[in-house]
Order: sequence, then C-alpha cells, then structure tokens
Amino acid sequence: MTFSISDSGLNALVDEVIASGTTVIAPALVKLSAGERREYQKIGSAQKMALTGAIVSNSLKPFIMPPSVPLFRYTRAKAAVSLEPATGKAQAAVVIGAQACDIAALEIVDRVMDWDYHDEVWFERRKATTVISLACTQADASCFCTAVGSGPDHPRGSDIQLLRKKGGYLARALTESGKAFCSKYGSHFEKAGDDADRDPLIKETREKVETNLKIDLGAIRSFLTRNFEHELWNDFGLRCHGCGACAFACPTCHCFDIVDEPEGITHGVRRRNWDTCQTAKFTVHASGHNPRKDQNSRIRQRVMHKFQIYPERFGDVLCTGCGRCVRVCAGGMNLLEILKVLDKSAEAKS
Amino acid sequence: MRELKNLAKRLLEEGTVKVVIGYEEGPVGVRPVFVTRPADAEKLVFNSRCVQNLAAYLSRRRGHIARLGKSAIVVKGCDARAVAGLIRESQLKREDVVVIGMRCGGVALRPSDEGPLTPETVADRCSGCESREPKLADHLLGELPPAPPKATRMFELMAQIERMPVAERFRFWAEQFERCMRCNACREVCPMCFCERCIQDKSQPQWIETSPHARGNLSWHFTHAMHLAGRCSSCDECQRACPAGLPLGLLNRKMAEIVRNRFEYQVSDDSTVPSPIGAFKQQDPQEFIK
Repeated sequence: MTFSISDSGLNALVDEVIASGTTVIAPALVKLSAGERREYQKIGSAQKMALTGAIVSNSLKPFIMPPSVPLFRYTRAKAAVSLEPATGKAQAAVVIGAQACDIAALEIVDRVMDWDYHDEVWFERRKATTVISLACTQADASCFCTAVGSGPDHPRGSDIQLLRKKGGYLARALTESGKAFCSKYGSHFEKAGDDADRDPLIKETREKVETNLKIDLGAIRSFLTRNFEHELWNDFGLRCHGCGACAFACPTCHCFDIVDEPEGITHGVRRRNWDTCQTAKFTVHASGHNPRKDQNSRIRQRVMHKFQIYPERFGDVLCTGCGRCVRVCAGGMNLLEILKVLDKSAEAKS
Repeated sequence: MRELKNLAKRLLEEGTVKVVIGYEEGPVGVRPVFVTRPADAEKLVFNSRCVQNLAAYLSRRRGHIARLGKSAIVVKGCDARAVAGLIRESQLKREDVVVIGMRCGGVALRPSDEGPLTPETVADRCSGCESREPKLADHLLGELPPAPPKATRMFELMAQIERMPVAERFRFWAEQFERCMRCNACREVCPMCFCERCIQDKSQPQWIETSPHARGNLSWHFTHAMHLAGRCSSCDECQRACPAGLPLGLLNRKMAEIVRNRFEYQVSDDSTVPSPIGAFKQQDPQEFIK
C-alpha cells in the first residue's frame, strides 16, 4: 500500500504524533564541542528533524535497549529479601526517518532476544515502537549494507518506509501496524504514490555502497568455521585498543553485564548495562585465567560472532553494514578491510 | 619520509628492533601500523594527519604487541611526553625502545582531515606547541616545518567554563556526562592508563559504579581526571576516541593548569624529572591540611 506525503504534511504529522503524547525519535542535529553531527534523539517538534545529512552517528539501540536498565529494586530485612519492579510500562514511541541499517538491526536482535529466553526488557520497548524508515540518499566510504543483505532502500524491519521524492516522500505501509498508523493519521497522506517518482539519488547511493564492498558471506562463514586458529588472526587485532566503542556504536551488538548497586545497607537496584567482548574483563575468570588472553582473540570473537556463530543459528549475519565500527574507531580498524581479507582467503581455499 | 622508511628498514634488517610502530595511509585516513618486515617499511608515512599518540601501544597492557619483540616507535613531540611518562613511571625501560622523533608542524583534529591545517582543522594541542622537536628521540628526523596555525576553540571554551558560577559549571558537566555510555574508550586509548586492573573494574568494594547514569559517570570521569593530574601528556586521544563526543581534554587541561600553578610542574619528555604524584617536597603546598 503506497501513499504520498508532502514535506509540510510530514511535519504536521510528526507534530500531531508528538501532541498526542507519543514519543517521537528522529535524526536531529546536535552541536558538540567535537563538531556537529546527526543523532537519533527524542524530539519535541518536527522542526528538530534533520532527515538528510551525514550518516546518523548513533544507532537506535539505546532507545530499545538503553545503556543501563534497572531490572528491579531489592530490600533486605533480616533473612527476607523483597523485590519490586524498577520501571513502569514502556511508553509508545514512533521512530521516524531511520536508516535501513538501523531498522534491519532490530529484527536481527529480535531473534536473539526470543531464542532460548523471551527477553521482556527488549520486547517491551520493541513492541511499543512503530518504525518509519527513510531510504538513504547518502553514503560514505564506511557504508557496506549491500554486502550484508541489506541496502539503502531495504524495507526490512520497517512498519512504514519513506522514499524521498520531489517535494515530499512516498510512504509504503508494510505491516499491519504501519497500515493502522497510516489510516489513523490518514489526513496527512495525500494520494496513492507512484514508485517511479522516487529520488534517483537512492539508486545512486545503492551503487556507491556496492562499490565499497562485495563479498561472499557463505564462503566467509565456511572459512571461519574451519579457521579458528588461522595466522590471519595474529594481525587483525594489533591496532585495536580494545575500547569497545565499536560494540557500543553497533546496532546489533547486544551483550550486557548485570550489576547490583546498593543504595544503602538494606536496599539497592539490579541493573543491566551494555558490555563488550572487546575488553579483557569480559571473559576473565574468577581464578584470573582469561581464555581470550589478547586483543587478537577478542577481535576474532567479534568477527566470528557476527559472521559465523550468529549465522549458524539464525541464517543471516549479525551485521547490517552501517559502518559505525569503522567511523568510531580510534585505532583505524576497518571491518570492510577484514571482510575483504577473509573473502579473499575463503576464495583461495575453495 | 624517505629518511623514515630507510631508518625503519635498517633497524629491522639489523635486528635492532623486531617491530616499528608508526603510521600508514589506511582506508579512511592515516592509522597506526606495525611493521615487522623490512620491505613493509615502505608503508610508513609522516604528515599532518598522523594524529594518533602511538605511545599507548607501548603499555604493558598490550601483550600482543610486546610479544612481537623490541619496538621502535614514531613519535611527535607531544607523543614523546607520553613515552617519557611510561619510562618515568617504570612501565618501560629507556633501553627497551628506540624512539624515532619527527619534527612536527602540527596535526589535524582527525586522521582523515585532508588539506592544509587551518585554525578550524588543527588539533587543539598544537596551539603554541613548544615541543615540535622531541628531545627524547634516539633519531630525530625531518626538517622543522613552520609553526601550525593557532586553534582557540578549547581555550575559549575553558575560559567560558571558568566564568560560570559553580552551579552552572556543574550543570555543564552533568549535561556532557549524560551522553556517556561507559564504553571506556577514553581509558583504553590513554597511554597513561596502564593499570592492570582499573579502579573502575574493582567490584569488592565497587568504588565506582559501572552504570552509565549520572552518579556513575561523574565518579568515573572525575576519578580519571584526578588520576591523570600531573601525568596526562595532553594528547587528547580520550576526546578523539569518545564516540559520544565529550570534551574530555578540557578536564585534563584544567588539571594540568592546577598542577602547573601549585607544583611548578609541567609534563615534559624528560623522564628523569619526577612528577608531583611520584615525589615529595617539603615545600609542596599543604595549607589545606588543618
């Protein structure tokens, strides 16, 4: 079902959603002493939206899986411990103008969160969120979504997908929830849109991303399965500082740590915080032994998890090609380069 | 540049060192490289995009690099201060590293920033730099380029923060720290953060909460700044590495200023001068002890 919406119509729609009390999350310009960037943020008015510009610097992860979530509060009285939920119900939210890589990531992480255990903390916010994506009209040298099964205009994970056209957007309602949203706010959607009107920049962006990286994911997966001890791993981690900025910026990395924080002698909070396999602490045992003793083995873990372990279990890869790991890396690590080397090695072996 | 490549090649061929830690052109900007074969010395570059402070790779925490064998390291004057810091604090023996010093005309904010340096693109630490010729060097290479343009950003922001009433200043930092996710990039890239077990990772007792909330973030960033007082080499790598864009260099600059005023000490690349934290002087200010 394809509609059409004008620039002013979209602004009016966003303002109406905000006025109804629903949280709206959209890319907005943020001025920092480090410079200006686009970031997904909770916005207070449609004027704040910055739907075009550089690749959005954060992912949507913090909105579905916040960096720190209180799980419950505890109180101890002698031998008895009483627990109470720490947070209320998740608020209804609408994400507008999200990139394809960020939307696809939500579906990819869904599978982990609903695998051997149904994770309420994740699904509570996930189910309360309507996702409206926007096909990308820009890409940089670190984008590689097309190499991992996505693309600038890939609709995966979208309830509604927007595609830029002259003076507005085509709006494709893709899920029941998307259709319901379009009918609820029907007054802002003009008429049936024609897919041929889409901005040619979308196609150009796809072509640009395709030239950044071309790999055979199946061959890489099979190479990884057979080459855990390959000498390649001795070089990959050299420049890595093990800081974990890559994992924190990544839309699909989802590991967490659980901590108890006392707020007094008898009471406190149990929280769930983001964690990363890139630090030594992640795997260190109580004895002091660490099975991942250096950065090379931690980089191997990150690559294996994304391109071998997750695919073995769920079919596709734990990566959407957003390129943030490359952009944030202080050491100049480059996943595109690593994947190229693996692809070449896989080809040579077959 | 030829001089650098030839020297690195010779050091590796002679077996003086097993690895040369330097800079190469990466896929998106200049980045660190670890040259172990003489032929690969051709990869080495030195230019205004050599932003990174490579001294972090000499830290004992980097076991995978230490395993390669004795290293030579390419440093700018500012980086030499960090190498000297590691020697001063017994993390590294002077004879265990060959220091290749580069005469420096300043570097850009980011390793991907092309073009000549301007007040907008030059790194904050290059303003008024007095160590464009590292003294710690075993080999000092290149001609001294003209002084870099002056960036005023950080100093203006510092002055602006100093003028704020305390409550407003607290609000400024509280807002900044709100963005922190506690990835610890600021710690991991810091050449002077070499503790095998950081106070933040100690959980019995938990001195610093690891959660990215106001309390945890404030205790972490203030502790980090305090631990770096009189030790920080002002490379601003913490600030560059921060995915949330926190102006962490400001805190370290302010601490350096306090140390300078209180202890007449400035971090230099002379490893024989003890730092205030590592030395006791009867004249040290102590009026706060009552």
